[in-house]
Amino acid sequence: MDKRVLKQEMLKILQPEQVLADDLDLMYYSYDSSFLTKLERVYPDIVVLPRATEQVQRIVRFAYENNIPVTPRGAGTGETGGAVAFNGGIVIDLSTWDEIVEVDVSNMQVVVRPGVIHADLNNHLAKFNLFFPPDPGSSLMCTIGGMVANNASGLRAVKYGCTEQYVLGLEVVLPNGEVITTGGIRSKAIKNVSGLNLTKLMVGSEGVLGIITKIRLRCWPKPKARGIAMAVFSKLDDAPATVLEVYQAGILPSGIEILDKSAIKAVNQFKPEIGLPEDAEAILLFEVDGNAPSVEWEGTNIVEIAKRRATKVEWATDPQRMASLWEGRSVTATAAARVRPDGSRVFAGEDISVPLSRVAEALRAIRSLGEKYGIPVVNYGHIGDGNVHTAPVIDPENPAEAEKANQLVHEIHLLAIELEGSTTGEHGVGAVRRQYAELEHGEALKVMRLIKNAVDPKGIMNPGKLI
Amino acid sequence: MKFKELPPVKEQIRKCVRCGRCRTVCPVFAEVKNETVAPRGHVFMVQMLRDGVVKPDSKVYEHLSKCLLCETCSTFCPSGIDIHELNAAARSFITENQSNPGKRLVFDTLWTSPKLLRASTAFMWSANVTGLMKLARALHLTKVLPGDLPKAEQILDRVPFRSARDQLHETIPAQGKKKLRVAYFLGCATNLLHPEVALATVKVLTQSGCEVVIPRDLKCCGLPHIANGKLGTARSLLLHNFELLSRAKVDYIVTDCASCSSALSDKNVRFVLGQEEIDANLALTAGKVVDLTAFLVNVLDIGPGNLVKRSEHRLTYHDPCHLAKAQNIRKEPRELLRLVPGVELVEMAEPDRCCGGSGTFALTHYDMSMKILDKKMSAIRNTGCDTVATCCPSCSMQLAYGFRRSRVNGKVVHPVELLAQALP
Ligand SMILES: Cc1cc2nc3c(=O)[nH]c(=O)nc-3n(C[C@H](O)[C@H](O)[C@H](O)COP(=O)(O)OP(=O)(O)OC[C@H]3O[C@@H](n4cnc5c(N)ncnc54)[C@H](O)[C@@H]3O)c2cc1C
Ligand code: SF4
Ligand code: SF4
Repeated sequence: MDKRVLKQEMLKILQPEQVLADDLDLMYYSYDSSFLTKLERVYPDIVVLPRATEQVQRIVRFAYENNIPVTPRGAGTGETGGAVAFNGGIVIDLSTWDEIVEVDVSNMQVVVRPGVIHADLNNHLAKFNLFFPPDPGSSLMCTIGGMVANNASGLRAVKYGCTEQYVLGLEVVLPNGEVITTGGIRSKAIKNVSGLNLTKLMVGSEGVLGIITKIRLRCWPKPKARGIAMAVFSKLDDAPATVLEVYQAGILPSGIEILDKSAIKAVNQFKPEIGLPEDAEAILLFEVDGNAPSVEWEGTNIVEIAKRRATKVEWATDPQRMASLWEGRSVTATAAARVRPDGSRVFAGEDISVPLSRVAEALRAIRSLGEKYGIPVVNYGHIGDGNVHTAPVIDPENPAEAEKANQLVHEIHLLAIELEGSTTGEHGVGAVRRQYAELEHGEALKVMRLIKNAVDPKGIMNPGKLI
Repeated sequence: MKFKELPPVKEQIRKCVRCGRCRTVCPVFAEVKNETVAPRGHVFMVQMLRDGVVKPDSKVYEHLSKCLLCETCSTFCPSGIDIHELNAAARSFITENQSNPGKRLVFDTLWTSPKLLRASTAFMWSANVTGLMKLARALHLTKVLPGDLPKAEQILDRVPFRSARDQLHETIPAQGKKKLRVAYFLGCATNLLHPEVALATVKVLTQSGCEVVIPRDLKCCGLPHIANGKLGTARSLLLHNFELLSRAKVDYIVTDCASCSSALSDKNVRFVLGQEEIDANLALTAGKVVDLTAFLVNVLDIGPGNLVKRSEHRLTYHDPCHLAKAQNIRKEPRELLRLVPGVELVEMAEPDRCCGGSGTFALTHYDMSMKILDKKMSAIRNTGCDTVATCCPSCSMQLAYGFRRSRVNGKVVHPVELLAQALP
């Protein structure tokens, strides 16, 4: 469709400041955090920033009638190109629609619009002694809509699981412009097995089945106490072994994170005041939460267990120290770039997930793959559930290096499948991991496609992603 | 140096992983909320400019100028990208490729000559009556700072009749035993708009045993030029100033203006001049620059000693971006305030959040600047204080306007003014 006509049509639905149609403006929507969108630049035909279900509905209906691709977008922190319009068309940027509609304290629920930022939500919920447990490293910037669409999790998935466990119901604008409510149109029930579980179908659907416009989340009481144990290892293999021993001792920490040698260095360069031990091969951060006596008990036992292999163990309950250790971990993703002065970490092959029993094997294999390609790989991540982030650090503007990095991450993805894991633990498939769908799902992929075709017969909703 | 060869452009753009962390702290992004003003977006656009995907034209300039150069994002980026430097470099690259006679007049002629600048503020003094617009038109300022100027004229408060330079000798002896010889870098805004701050600075310095030199031919620090795409001019201003300062044979170079101290700081000098233009002598001189607040606390180690006159002030402190983010000077101004007998310091929420003034930004992007200011004023209001202390004339002007705009009878002071008042 002619871009001017498209703009005029959108202006019938939205205010001028909610429509971006200048060529220059559109360029800014050519990327998310993925390496792919650094290498390839594609622009949408228009960007719209709606703030009402009816607006989204009218936009989508118009797109449906005119066969225009639609790409939903949150904060654009995804690593898969999911929020980028590879087929052009309309980008619906939902990040300005950031209203917390209702905190239902007595039912321990919160209703939000998709653009609410994760950290803002938890700051707000803290006033009611509640929290929404999934804790992505991108907490400060990612939207709840993006989290639901990606079934995000993060640093606390060990104990609290992923976003899907907390979504009670969704309002979704379907590709034909119809609006549905999943989980029961009136239901605020926490347990609900009535009907096919469309909520679960939508969570993690990466925007290919519709636009999420309202989210009802279950919240949990905010734990009263918290502690972090940092264990320092001189052998990489000792880290996963210690994780298993902590579980075997009957302890379920709220988070278990690993940073390898280079990740430690990177964090220290960005935030020297955190002072992570540089003489280590790896460190583990165990977070425990709950009531004070149980935190103390679990902390003491973790420290005891870790001491068997660790060269040093620190137990922190001082809020400032805990905040800085946790921050250290959550900035690793980007700070990894620091290990090479002229380099950058790339978000590619960064999210494999393997069975707990094979984490050590995975870490060793990744290390030798890095050596094979001559590319430093920073390893960090949610080791407690086998979800390891591998950050190749390269000069992304050097085509030969970029090519090598792409070969490396391809091998990392195949490795994950070979180790009976998955190519992605939380970041999703998007455009970058679609090639592995057949290998991972076999016949089930056909059923996924049947569902997609039934919901989106014209294929306008986030084409080129997921399946 | 060529745009593409500038260190930040050459080395840093590639380090952006587009994680979006910088979006969360940008005051402009917080108002506009779309990617076109995100710090990450600016890094991207500078890359497009570098790669020739977009032309160095006024449209790209307009996009890049929606940034306060407050450096908040740069301190927050885990990859270590100096996002503001990239932006400033790109503005200059575009300006070099365009001819804008108005801009040349203001930044190359007027703002490089203390005399002309003085003359035009004298004119402004009368222009307070006749209207800044008239002056702006006369100077072709409307062409440089389009759009928002009619509204922005309100920001400027009454311009004092006598500048600080008119009231101060070139060398002012130390009182009592001379401990140090110090050059006072008297910035344009302090000189012309806040001479009372300059007088206070000189009083505090001399009473603390410093012989103060104010080299007569010092020119602007160059910060307005950096912000307005005139890196070349900023470069010659820096070289000129450092030449004079080096000849002054002083132990330290201090300034009470956060913008000036950041412009003269080691980091900024490296950005503006590039490594190769910095010879040993210049490096030595640049190494002597220190912001007045840090100088008083860390070098002179001033204590409550002579601060004898008590006056009751319940006040809050606003961190200027060019002090807090550019130089990580946060505790020193607070320490000084606490030394003053009778001062009660009440912290506001997010004291280091930009006030939206940022030199000429308030003139070029009035509406956005006011939205950012409104947030600041509400943080101030919540402290219940009607006095704000801060160390930057641009912030002072903006905050004073914030009070006037909300019809609050508030006051903005520099900590050094309170120190001076407390001295015998
Ligand atoms: C530094 C860093 C650390 C990260 N750490 C983690 C982590 O620990 N755990 C984790 O799970 N992820 C992590 N991520 C990945 C990413 O932040 C998450 O996937 C996040 O949920 C994406 O949210 P977003 O708002 O940025 O979505 P976007 O990137 O804008 O979009 C992501 C996908 O969701 C779709 N989408 C967005 N909003 C909607 C909507 N309202 N309706 C339908 N579809 C929609 C988009 O089409 C796209 O396919 C990290 C990313 C970065 C950069
Ligand atoms: S924080 Fe740094 S690396 Fe991340 S998007 Fe911003 S500029 Fe890029
Ligand atoms: S310098 Fe300030 S205004 Fe400019 S992009 Fe960074 S945070 Fe935003």
